[in-house]
Amino acid sequence: MTDSLNLHKPQRQAPLGVAVMFVQNLRRAINIFVAVVVVNFGRDFSILGLGYLEIAYIISTFFLIFSYLQYRRFTFYVKGDNFIIEKGVLKQDKISVPFGRIQTVNTRQNLVQQLFNLVGLKIDTAGSVQQEINIPALSKSYAQALQEFLMEQRYELQNEEDVKLQEDSEVDITDSIREESSLLLSIDIPMLLKVGLTQNHLRSGLVLFAIVNGYFWQYEDLLLQPLEPYLAETAESFLTSWLILLPITVVAFLVVSVLSSLVTTILRYFGFKFYLGEKGLSIESGLFARNAFHVPFRKIQYFKWEANPLQALLGYRTLRVKQAGAEAINDKKLIAIPGLAPKQLLKILNQRYKARKVGRYSYFKPHILLRNQRFFVFGLLPISVLGALFYFQNLVWWTYLPLPLILILCFFWSTSYWQHYHMRVNANFIELKKGYFIPKRILLPVEKIQNIALNQSFLQKQRGIGTLVLYTAAGSERVSHLPYEESLALYNYLLYKVESSPRNWM
Amino acid sequence: MLLENLKIDPNQLPQLEARSFEGLEEDYLYYRITGRSLFFLFAAGFASLFSLFGKVYFWYWLGPILSLFLISIVYELLSFKWRGFCLRELDVSYRSGLIVHRMVTIPLTRVQHCEYSQGLIGRLFDLAQVKVYTAGGSNSDLVIKGLRKNTAIKLRDQITKMAGSHD
Repeated sequence: MTDSLNLHKPQRQAPLGVAVMFVQNLRRAINIFVAVVVVNFGRDFSILGLGYLEIAYIISTFFLIFSYLQYRRFTFYVKGDNFIIEKGVLKQDKISVPFGRIQTVNTRQNLVQQLFNLVGLKIDTAGSVQQEINIPALSKSYAQALQEFLMEQRYELQNEEDVKLQEDSEVDITDSIREESSLLLSIDIPMLLKVGLTQNHLRSGLVLFAIVNGYFWQYEDLLLQPLEPYLAETAESFLTSWLILLPITVVAFLVVSVLSSLVTTILRYFGFKFYLGEKGLSIESGLFARNAFHVPFRKIQYFKWEANPLQALLGYRTLRVKQAGAEAINDKKLIAIPGLAPKQLLKILNQRYKARKVGRYSYFKPHILLRNQRFFVFGLLPISVLGALFYFQNLVWWTYLPLPLILILCFFWSTSYWQHYHMRVNANFIELKKGYFIPKRILLPVEKIQNIALNQSFLQKQRGIGTLVLYTAAGSERVSHLPYEESLALYNYLLYKVESSPRNWM
Repeated sequence: MLLENLKIDPNQLPQLEARSFEGLEEDYLYYRITGRSLFFLFAAGFASLFSLFGKVYFWYWLGPILSLFLISIVYELLSFKWRGFCLRELDVSYRSGLIVHRMVTIPLTRVQHCEYSQGLIGRLFDLAQVKVYTAGGSNSDLVIKGLRKNTAIKLRDQITKMAGSHD
């Protein structure tokens, strides 16, 4: 296969890659350019006597030449046990990736790449060197061959280094990466709509609000100028009319939120396919940008699944796969699988963690301080501030009426939150349950723990409780207000398990 | 009974207790106090500019700075005895904190690498620190401060050696 890839001498990307790079560069330039255009909107604008159009032409030509140079300078080849990429026009970069350090090789296709029928290849490595290793434009067949070649090299090297891995699997590993994995979940259009309609609308609404807000304030002066006379008027009557405005705003916000989460869901999860194999999970999804991930099981640190009330109604869970990554406790490393029925979820868990039901669990419950703190922070404190504000605004007495109601609801919520919060531990797993409205479950195998901390604040010391923090390579989980003696025993037990277990975290 | 699913008795497990921790060098207390003093001295010097060239009454800033300084000294004195580390055959622990007691343990099998460093003031006191990294992100790294320089180097070598031997 190496012969067809011809990697012993430097290779270039597909020639159409020039176009892909050109569009990439252009998009970056437009981002800057738009600001200039907006700020100068409606004014005559010129630099050295050149108008918009001329400047656009010059910039485009410049980027076309630049992209061609970029394409010429971008080469990749194999030298010894390293995969090497050389790139850069003004500054020459040479990225060297040892085969043994390669974690996963993913292909992805955004809109531009789809247009030119090209594929981008992304290599994930272990270690603190967080350099983006990305080959943006390859022909489909070449990308596939390269992906297989890299993964093969990696497994071969690991076999040499790691005798344990060889013992683990008597089957030839190079075959098993190409094995047939079973399709567990495929999202069709009606299902996609269901998933979209049961997203956390509040969150997507707020995200949209934050984005719009960011853009809005950037061009605030410009957008508000024509409205200024009205604004002065509304500001005066604002306080008296907010009762009328509020319901309208809420309804508008809800509609926009639902639409926004529907659109993002369709963009992200169109044609979603989820495969469960012997060695890992594979995911394909996306409407414009087709992403394909392969996650080897050893890289998965733990599973987290949740269902908001809407999803619970339809009986769906969203599974989040927490992967290890150097500094990568960000969204990209966190793969979400939406619309999983409980049966499918159990199939994944039981296939991956066969020992989940072995042995009895010990249960841990938090101290009631958890409820009191929640009630104080989310109920008592904001309500007191709001009450004080109302008082100083001299509002009529009935505006205070909702406040006790909110307080009662918050008390109910805090109590339920506290009652539903628990952890259970057996010889191999830690399971955590958190949240009332959106219950979250976490399943963490003991050997994935990196280190453990036990904190005890002043308030906790008086009550004989403490907070346990479990750190993994994919983020940390904190369990608050457990009885201190029990947490200390658990602390010692988990250390014993981690230290005596031959299983490694990756 | 807690953890009854086990065949082993939890009481028989190796226990990490307060008395297993080793205290830090006493110089580390003076080192910290020196650090605080320098910080407040710097702050006071900056604030005095306003009094010398502006019209700010001296006690307006000297009062708060002095009281904060006293509080931090008392805090350092009280919290010092809580700091300590413990190196066992299979893990390394550190504890610290007065208002929030914190105890962290890293199993040696999970150590990514381990480094030793010495700062400017540290050199004056002949003190150094050892930092132990895991794959668990920067929040979870463990720093053992207040060690003699040769102790720190020995500790680093020991941790590196023991971490390597478990692979």
